Formats: sequence, structure tokens, C-alpha cells
Amino acid sequence: ALEDLFTTLNRHIQASAFDNVVKFTDQILAIAPDDEDALRCKVVALIKNDHVEDALSAIKSSRKQLDDFHFFKAYCLYRQNKLDEALESLKRQARNDETMLLECQILYRLGKMDACIDIYQKLQNSKVDNMEINSVAALVMAGRSSE
Amino acid sequence: NPIVLDLAYNMIEFPDIENRM
Ligand SMILES: [K+]
Repeated sequence: ALEDLFTTLNRHIQASAFDNVVKFTDQILAIAPDDEDALRCKVVALIKNDHVEDALSAIKSSRKQLDDFHFFKAYCLYRQNKLDEALESLKRQARNDETMLLECQILYRLGKMDACIDIYQKLQNSKVDNMEINSVAALVMAGRSSE
Repeated sequence: NPIVLDLAYNMIEFPDIENRM
């Protein structure tokens, strides 16, 4: 039953056994092709396993498009260094801490340091671990390290 | 060049599937 598959799936998620997560999400999706939890688990597992090309394929081939797929797609494109496409995809996603962090990383790679720093400043109250490492990097690259 | 971390990767999380089990 679906419940049993999700129980096993959860065990593999807790163990960070990403190949098995993909295997069991595929089993769930064979029964319930539009299951949002299974779709999301599959894409996350592929990303966590650094299989960004497969994650993009999973997003493209899914009949159901989830709210956060634009973010996942943008992240995969960023990993492939397709930075303009990644920004385009991010524009389709509601802005939140995650999307803003990714936007910063894309802008940094594009050399748009001032825009990057502006967003890090907006994120300052959101308590992202180690964010100062990236914001300092952007300040250094912008020649604004005295800030 | 200074070190940059992939903080976006850290933000990507599995959904809570407790209620599906
Ligand atoms: K960055």
C-alpha cells in the first residue's frame, strides 16, 4: 500500500540514502503519478545526490508542476552554470529566503556584486547559517570590504 | 577569490511525509 511505501521512503530519507529515495518515489509514482510528496521527494533526492540533469528531467517530464519546481529548476540551472536561465526560472517563483539566497549566488557568479549585496542585506534578519561568508565574499569582490 | 558556500543547497529539504505513513 501507499502508506507502506511512504514509511520505507521516510526511512531512506532519514538515512540520506538518496538512491533508495529515488527508487521508492518511482514506485509510488507508478501507482500515483501526480503525488506531490513523491514528486517533491524525487526531485530533492536527485538534487541532494548531485544529479541535477536527472532532476531537471524529472521536473520537465512531470505532468504535475508544483509551486516550488521553479526554485528547484533554477537551482539545477545554476549548478549547470546556465545563469540567465536560472534567473528567469526564479522570477516565476514567489520570493522567500531560499529564492533570495539562490539569487545572490547567481548574481555573484554573474559578477553583479552590488545587486548581490543588496539582497544579502535584505536577508540579514533571517538567520541563515554562514550567510556572512557569502556576503563578505561579495563585498570583497565589489571592492567594498571596509563595509 | 574568496570562498563562497552553496547555501541554497542547504535550504533544499524533503517535505514532511509523516502524515502519509
Ligand atoms: K554568493
